[in-house]
Amino acid sequence: MLDRELKKGSAELLILSLVEDRPRHGYDIGQLIELRSRGVLRFNVASLYPLLYRLEKRGWIRGRWVEKPGQRRRRYYRLTPTGKRVLAAQRDGWQEFVGAINRITGIAHA
Amino acid sequence: MPDFKEEIRKRVAALQLSPPREAEIVEELSQHLDDQYEQSLNRGAIEKEAYEAALASLAESDLLARELKRVERPVRQEPLTLGSEKTNLLGDLWQDLRFGVRMLLKNPGFTIVAVIALALGIGANTAIFSVVNTVLLRPLPYKNPERLVMVWEENSKQGFPRDTPAAANYIDWRDQNHVFEGMAAMTEVSFNLTGTGEPERVDGQRVSGSLFQLLGVEPQLGRAFLAEEDRPGANHVVILSHGLWERRFGSDPTIIGRPINLDGQSFTVVGVMPKGFQFPRRTDQLWVPIAFNSKEAGQRGSHYLEVIARMKPGISLEQAQAEMTTIATRLQQQYPETNTSIGAVITPLQEHLVGNIKPALLVLLGAVAFVLLIACANVANLLLARAAVRQKEIALRLAIGASRSRMTRQFLTESVLLSALGGGVGLVLAIVGLDVLKRFIPPNISQVQAIGMDTKVLIFTILVSIATGLLFGLAPAAQMASPNLNDTLKEGGRDSAGGHHGNRIRGFLIISEVAVSFLLLIGAGLLINSFLRLRHVDPGFRAENLLTMKIVLPETRYPDKQRRTIFFDELLRRVGILPGVASAAVATDIPLTTTGNSVGVSIEGRADPAPDRVPIVITRVVSPDYFKTMSIPLLEGRVFTEGDKADSPAAVVISETTARLFWPGESALGKHLKVGFRSTSPNPWLTVVGVVKDVRQYELIIEPKPQMYLPYQQAEFFEPRALVVRTNFDPLSLAATVRQTVWGIDKDQPVSDISSMEEIVSDSVARQRFSMLLLGVFAGLALVLAAVGIYGVMSYSVAQQTREIGIRMALGAQRSDVLKMTVGQGLRFVLTGVAIGLVAAFILTRVMSTLLFGVSPTDPVTFVSIAAVLIGVAVLASYIPALRATRVDPMFALRYQ
Repeated sequence: MLDRELKKGSAELLILSLVEDRPRHGYDIGQLIELRSRGVLRFNVASLYPLLYRLEKRGWIRGRWVEKPGQRRRRYYRLTPTGKRVLAAQRDGWQEFVGAINRITGIAHA
Repeated sequence: MPDFKEEIRKRVAALQLSPPREAEIVEELSQHLDDQYEQSLNRGAIEKEAYEAALASLAESDLLARELKRVERPVRQEPLTLGSEKTNLLGDLWQDLRFGVRMLLKNPGFTIVAVIALALGIGANTAIFSVVNTVLLRPLPYKNPERLVMVWEENSKQGFPRDTPAAANYIDWRDQNHVFEGMAAMTEVSFNLTGTGEPERVDGQRVSGSLFQLLGVEPQLGRAFLAEEDRPGANHVVILSHGLWERRFGSDPTIIGRPINLDGQSFTVVGVMPKGFQFPRRTDQLWVPIAFNSKEAGQRGSHYLEVIARMKPGISLEQAQAEMTTIATRLQQQYPETNTSIGAVITPLQEHLVGNIKPALLVLLGAVAFVLLIACANVANLLLARAAVRQKEIALRLAIGASRSRMTRQFLTESVLLSALGGGVGLVLAIVGLDVLKRFIPPNISQVQAIGMDTKVLIFTILVSIATGLLFGLAPAAQMASPNLNDTLKEGGRDSAGGHHGNRIRGFLIISEVAVSFLLLIGAGLLINSFLRLRHVDPGFRAENLLTMKIVLPETRYPDKQRRTIFFDELLRRVGILPGVASAAVATDIPLTTTGNSVGVSIEGRADPAPDRVPIVITRVVSPDYFKTMSIPLLEGRVFTEGDKADSPAAVVISETTARLFWPGESALGKHLKVGFRSTSPNPWLTVVGVVKDVRQYELIIEPKPQMYLPYQQAEFFEPRALVVRTNFDPLSLAATVRQTVWGIDKDQPVSDISSMEEIVSDSVARQRFSMLLLGVFAGLALVLAAVGIYGVMSYSVAQQTREIGIRMALGAQRSDVLKMTVGQGLRFVLTGVAIGLVAAFILTRVMSTLLFGVSPTDPVTFVSIAAVLIGVAVLASYIPALRATRVDPMFALRYQ
């Protein structure tokens, strides 16, 4: 399990990445994080949504209610142009950061 | 599926987000939990596990809130939450006020009628309260006025429960008591003021030197009397009233120390009293020291003083009374000749000054309170009717979540707003009305000029207005705020406000209105009845076309009888030949202006009675034409002639009551009596030469007492001081001519109190007229308000019964049946009201008994006729709406609902 602080710091990056290719709703985002991290990363409702709202407020993502036949309406979040630039920058930063950590801690590239 | 919304709402409530935002968050998050729950079930979890797992993702109870708090901003303003239990009193009040104003503006008819009704009620209350406030509540303008008392001789045995004390008794009281700080005596005096300008008759008082100090009032200029000035020889000093100083001496500050001419004698002005000082009478214009001479100081038979005293601190009325009784008892034993039946009684000064008018004022205060109650009932009725119209609005507001208490508050705000408007208009009415009112207040009420508005009156008006608003607003508010929502909201539920409950309230209001106005009408009826009887009392003379005036000859210029007779003979000769004059006469006093000048007499051939049984006879000294001029009918014998001269046999004309009391069953002609307590007194025997009809000398309401007339050329004791002139047209048009005639004989002779006899008669019933007019006006107001109220309720109830009436008429009911039915309904209320009013009147009119004259407080004629009037008005008020009901087209009525 990753440390709580680390998880928080990387959370923004994860969300931005997940809504990059297409709009997703909150539950979907939570599921994907859990699925792709094979259960290592996990958001609970109480932290996921406040984070979504924060990103939305910063103008990086945008939520929109969408109604589909036979379903309840859901709120889908998509990446905004600003969000796109932020994501690119964060990705670079993250890779630099991870590389640096690895170099220091001597973890070999797999 | 469990509902997670509540759980989420609980967690975000503290953030106070704007409701739409909160709803959004709740929706989004609960969906998440729903999805999670479903997934857990799909994976084989049982419901309980799935539920707990979902909840677990909300984590600790405050995490969500903590996280959201960084992102979400709470709303700054109080959200518009419908049906919220939270209260914001000031905000609500402001909202209610604005809404109230809009409602009132929307219904100008309703508003005007209600405000007028309230303004009349509140205005009447304010006006009467300002009189009560000034006359009864405001302390007298003297130092510690509660310790000031009047001291009287008590001589109930001879019909004088509060008699003016004799000088020697006063001096003994003053010197022997231990309960008073000081005691002062006063007696009326009049002077001819001459010197600058027209000669003038001024009224004043001879007073003890200590009077001003006793009252605690300092002169504005100069000083009060010195103790040594209250002695014969040193007493030619005078203190002027502010009014006299201003009017006659042009407010000259150098007047102090200067002499003025009173009755031809010189008096030095030592002081001028401050403005507004009037004691003991409003008409007093100057004060001189009483300075008893030794003869006066020793006499106990002549009762003419007024005595005021100041109680020592800590002495109660009872203690003072007990002490005075002890002293009076001692004097009775000491002076059996004169004091056998004389006690002493004290009354607080305030009571003495207002005693006459107090019962009338209290009755009036009660009356205006009743008028206001009726106005309240009317406005309550109006509000009830309007509540019916507004029922839908109210039901709708309640349905979307307004609380009943909130609604009640709003309606009360509306009614208090209404009553505040009424109070404002009422205040204006009161200020205007007070000026009119003042004219009817009897002139002997000394504070009349001071009557006006003050803070106390304003506070009274404000309180009355608020209380009024709450009173008439309560019933409709309670009823309006609790309608049956379902029925009202449904189409055709328009009658729900007029349901059983509403009709009961309306019935109750009508019955109360009728009962209260019945009570007022009875009160007014009794007073009007009394007043009519009073005005129909035969005074014993004919008042029309009679001019009267006072002409008092000063002793300095007319020291002996001969000179006075010459003056009067000449005056009567000159006045008698003036065009328009039928006859003229002089007399000691004009009837209904003086209470006094009576003497004890002895009857020839009878043993002298005990001292307290001596017959007292009102005595008037007159010129021969007096009876003709006054139109006093002669019953027996003759009246005086020119032949009754100083040296002819002493003659007397007596009244029928005197004749009946002294010589019952026989003719009084030729009988003898004389002035004086004992048959041995040196006065001459007088021969009865005529008997005339009784004249009411003191007051119209007082039964005639024994009286006699003496020819002015023979009488030793009394001097004519008044001129009466019978004229052929308006007597006052001759006033100037007659005055010029007097000045033609003596240019320094003042003429005062010029008035027609009709004015005098009318003034003598001023107190009764005051109560009658006011109570009459208030009762009339009550009648009109009650009639309007009955009319309103009947119209409303007929409108409600349109359908019923339509059915009845469709089934063959005649117009007369419908009329009977509707009028009968109104009549039932009215009869119940009259019955209750009848019982109340039987109990309450007793408080009026002192105001009545010749009518019993339960006078059946008044009761029956008032009941008839009220029932008549009520029938009329319900007949008009009933008539309208019969014009209903049955088809229309049936379709209408």
